[in-house]
Amino acid sequence: MTELQAERAGKPLGVPRIEAKSQRSRYLDVLIAIAAFAVLATLPFLFSSKALLDFVIRCAAFGLFATSLNLLVGYTGMISFGHGMFFGLGAYSFALIMQRTGVPIPVAFICTLLITTVIAAVIGAICVRLKEIYFAFVTLAFQMLIHSMILSWVSLTGGDQGLRGGIPRPVFLGVDLSNYLHLYVVSCALLVIGLLLMRQIAQSPFGYTLRMIRDNAVRASFIGIDVWRAKLTIFVLAALFASTGGIIMSLFVSGAYPEFAFWTISGEGIFINMLGGVTTFLGPMVGTVLLLIMNDTVTRLTEYYGIVLGIVILFFAIGLRKGLMDFVVEWYEVRRDGAKERAR
Amino acid sequence: MDLDALTGCLASSACLVTQGTSGFIIGMLLFLVAVGLTLIFGVLKVVNFSHGAFYMFGAYFAMTAYQLTGSFALAMLCGAAGTAILGLVFERVFMSRVYGSDVLMQLLVCYAFVLIFDDVVRWIWGPEFKSMGMPTAFQVPPLFIGGGVVPPYYLLLIGVALAVAAILGLGLARTRIGKVVRAAAHNPGMVSALGINTGLIYGSVFALGGMLAGLAGALAAPVRSLTPGMGFSVLIESFIVTVIGGMGSILGALLGALLIGLIRSFGSLGFPLFTDGLMYLFMVIVLVARPTGLFGKEVA
Amino acid sequence: MLDVQQLSKSFGGVKAADHISLSFADGSLTAVIGPNGAGKSTFFNLITGALKPDSGRVLLNGVDMAGRSPPDIARHGIGRAFQVASIFPSLTVHETMLAAVCADQRRASVLHRRFPLAETRDRAEHAMEMLGLAGKRDRTSATLSHGDQKLLDIALALVLDPKVLLLDEPTAGMGTEERWRMIDKVHELWEQQKITVVFIEHDMDIVFKIAPSIVVLCYGRILATGTPDAIRRNAAVIEAYLGTEHHAGQAT
Repeated sequence: MTELQAERAGKPLGVPRIEAKSQRSRYLDVLIAIAAFAVLATLPFLFSSKALLDFVIRCAAFGLFATSLNLLVGYTGMISFGHGMFFGLGAYSFALIMQRTGVPIPVAFICTLLITTVIAAVIGAICVRLKEIYFAFVTLAFQMLIHSMILSWVSLTGGDQGLRGGIPRPVFLGVDLSNYLHLYVVSCALLVIGLLLMRQIAQSPFGYTLRMIRDNAVRASFIGIDVWRAKLTIFVLAALFASTGGIIMSLFVSGAYPEFAFWTISGEGIFINMLGGVTTFLGPMVGTVLLLIMNDTVTRLTEYYGIVLGIVILFFAIGLRKGLMDFVVEWYEVRRDGAKERAR
Repeated sequence: MDLDALTGCLASSACLVTQGTSGFIIGMLLFLVAVGLTLIFGVLKVVNFSHGAFYMFGAYFAMTAYQLTGSFALAMLCGAAGTAILGLVFERVFMSRVYGSDVLMQLLVCYAFVLIFDDVVRWIWGPEFKSMGMPTAFQVPPLFIGGGVVPPYYLLLIGVALAVAAILGLGLARTRIGKVVRAAAHNPGMVSALGINTGLIYGSVFALGGMLAGLAGALAAPVRSLTPGMGFSVLIESFIVTVIGGMGSILGALLGALLIGLIRSFGSLGFPLFTDGLMYLFMVIVLVARPTGLFGKEVA
Repeated sequence: MLDVQQLSKSFGGVKAADHISLSFADGSLTAVIGPNGAGKSTFFNLITGALKPDSGRVLLNGVDMAGRSPPDIARHGIGRAFQVASIFPSLTVHETMLAAVCADQRRASVLHRRFPLAETRDRAEHAMEMLGLAGKRDRTSATLSHGDQKLLDIALALVLDPKVLLLDEPTAGMGTEERWRMIDKVHELWEQQKITVVFIEHDMDIVFKIAPSIVVLCYGRILATGTPDAIRRNAAVIEAYLGTEHHAGQAT
C-alpha cells in the first residue's frame, strides 16, 4: 500500500515509461512514413512505366478516402454509406475554385478543406445522432442529394458531362503540377502526410475515445464522454481526408465527374475496408491496392466486372468474415503465442 | 426551376388529375417494393440492400413470359413467382449466414448481389433498353376524369397495390401466420423455443418481400423501360419511403410511398432537374423532425 | 451529500418513481432493496441522467443534477456500475482504465499526443490494484470472467474518483461464494475511499450484514428507510416484501 499511496500523492515512481514508449511509437511512424515516401519518390527513376505511376496516384486518392472511412467504420463503429460525398465535394470544390478564381493551388486546397469542414459539420450534426442503419441511410441520402445537386446545377458543375476544361495549375514555389512528375510527388506526399495525420488521430487519446464509443457508447457517456461531440468531430475530420483524396483525383483527371459523388464510391470504400480489414490501420490501404489491381485486371479480362467483384466480396464477407490484414494479424499472433509457448 | 408550370398545374383540374394519377402509380409501385423491404427489416432485422434487383428481375421475367406466351396474367404470375423463389434461395443460401454478424457484413453481401444481379441481367437480356409494350387488353382509349387523362392500366396498377396493402395489413393483424410473423419480429428466440421453425418464417418473409418487389417490377414492365441497373433508383426511393414511413411499418410505407410519388410527379413540373433532390431533401426534413420516421417506433 | 427531493417519473400510467425523497450522507453505505419492478434501476437511471425525471431534484452538494446529460452528471462526480457489466469488449483492462482516466481529466479529445498519457498512468494503476485486476491488465475485456467484468465495470466508475458511487446489483449472476467475495470488495472499497456508496441488492443476507442503512422501494415509492434492525421489524416491509419472498426461501 505504501507504494500505491506514494503514487496517489503524485510522486512518480520512476520515469513515466508509458509516455516515453508512446513517444517512441510516434517517431517510428514518422520514420516509416519518410521511408515510404522515399520509396515512392524513387519509383519514377527506377521504372519508366507511366501506368505504374498512374496506379500510385489513384492509390493515393482512394487510399486517403478509404482510410478516412475506416476512422468512422473501424474505429468509431459508424457505418457511413455516404462518405463518398466528401470525395466528390473535394474534387468539385477544388476544381471549381481553380477554374473560377485562379488563386495559388495551396489557397484553393485550404479553401476546399474549409468548405468541406462547414458542409461536413452541418451534415454531421444531423446524421451522427442516428444509430447504425439509420445513420447509414441518412448519409446515403445526403450523398444522393449532393449527387443530384451536381447533376442539376449545370451552370456551375457542368451537370452529367462533368466539370471539363481542365484545371489551371499556376506554378507555386517551384512546384508545377502540370508537370506529371511534380503531380506524382505531390500526390505521394499528400498520401503519406494524410496517413501520418490519421495514424496520429487513431493513436491519440481521442482515438481511444472513439474505440470506447464503438465498443459501448452508453458506457462511454457514463464516464463523462460527450458521444455526440466526439462523433461529429471524427465525422468532420474523416471528411477532410476524403476531400483531400478527391482533390488528388481532380488533379489526376483534370476535372471532376458526377461519378465521384455517386453512392458507388461509398460502396467501394466500404468494400475496400472489408477487403483490407478494419482492425489494422493500414488495412484500408492494402484493400485499396487490391481493389485497384483487381479492377484493372478484371476489366481487361471480362465485361462482366460486377459478377467477378461480387463473388470476391461474397468470398470475403461469407467465407473469411474478415479482411486480409485481419487475417494476417491473427496468423501472426497465433504464431507469436505459439513461439512463446515453446519458449516456456 | 419552373414554378409557373407548377402553380399553373395546381390551378387546373386536368393537370391535377393527370399529375396526381401519375404520382399515384409511382407511389403504388414504390409501395410494393418498400413494403417488402420494411417487412424484411421488421422480421429479420436485415436491410435488404439488393431489394431493387428483385424489382428488376420481376420486370424481366414478366417481359420474357409475355413474349413467350402472350398472356398478361401469366407474365404477372411469372414475375411474382420467379422472384419469390429467387428471394427464398437468396435468403436461405446467403443472407442466413450473416444474421449474427454486424450490419457491415449484411450490407456487403447485398452489395455483392447488386453487382452480380445487374451483370447477370446484362448477360442474359443484354445491356440495351428493352420494353414489354402495353398488353393488348389495355390498349383502349384512356379515361377522362375532370379533364385529366387516366390510362386504364393505371387503375389496375393502383387497384392491385391497394389490394396488397389490405391483404397484408389484415393478414398480419388477424391470421395465425401473421401472429407468428409478428412474434418472430419481436422475439425470435422465444418463437423458436416454442417449436416454430424461424428459418422457415425468415425464408417465407424474404420470399414474400421478393415476390412483392417482383410483382411491382412486372406491373411496371408495360409502362417503364427495362435496363440492367433499373433496380437501383427504385431501391433508393423505396429506402427513402421506408425511412420516411418508419422502418417496419406497413401503413408508414403506404403513406411514404404516396408522398414520394406525389413529390416526384409534381416536383418534375416545378423543379425538372432537381426532382431527385427534392425527395432527399424531404427525407432529411422528416428525419430531422422524427428520426424514426412518421410511423416508426422509438428505438431503445 | 446526495439529496434526492420529490423525484418522479412515470411511463404511460405506471409510476416508476413516485415522489422519492432521500438523502445520502457523505461516506454512507446504503442498500436499496425491493421486489422486482419496484423501480430500483429506474431510481439509478434518474440520478445518473439515463432517464430524465418528470419532476423533482437531485442535489449533489447543493447543485441540481436533474435533467442533465449522463456525461455531465458523471463529470460532477456520480459514477455508476451496471447490472449487466458494461465494459469495452475490445479494449484491454489497462487501456480501459487509461482511457477512463483520460476522460475524467478532460483529455478525451486530445489529438496531438499519443495514448496513453503519462499523467493518466498512476490513477489507472491505482484503480487496477484496488480491484485486483492488475494481473490481468493485458487481457482483452471480452475474455475476462463474468466476475472480473463486473469488477472492471466498478473500476470504470471508481477510477473517475466519484463522490457518489451507484452500484446496480454488483453481485448479479454470481454464485454464493463469488457474491461474498464481491461484496467484501465493495465494502473494502467503501471503507478505503470514504465515498458515498449506494447499491442495489437482492440477497437479503448480504444486505442485512453489510449495509448500515437500507432503503426499501415498492412500486416506485419508498416503503421504509432505516437500519437493518428497523427494517427487519418494519411491518409494512414484512407485509409487502419479506412476507412473500423471504419466507418462501427465495433469497434472490
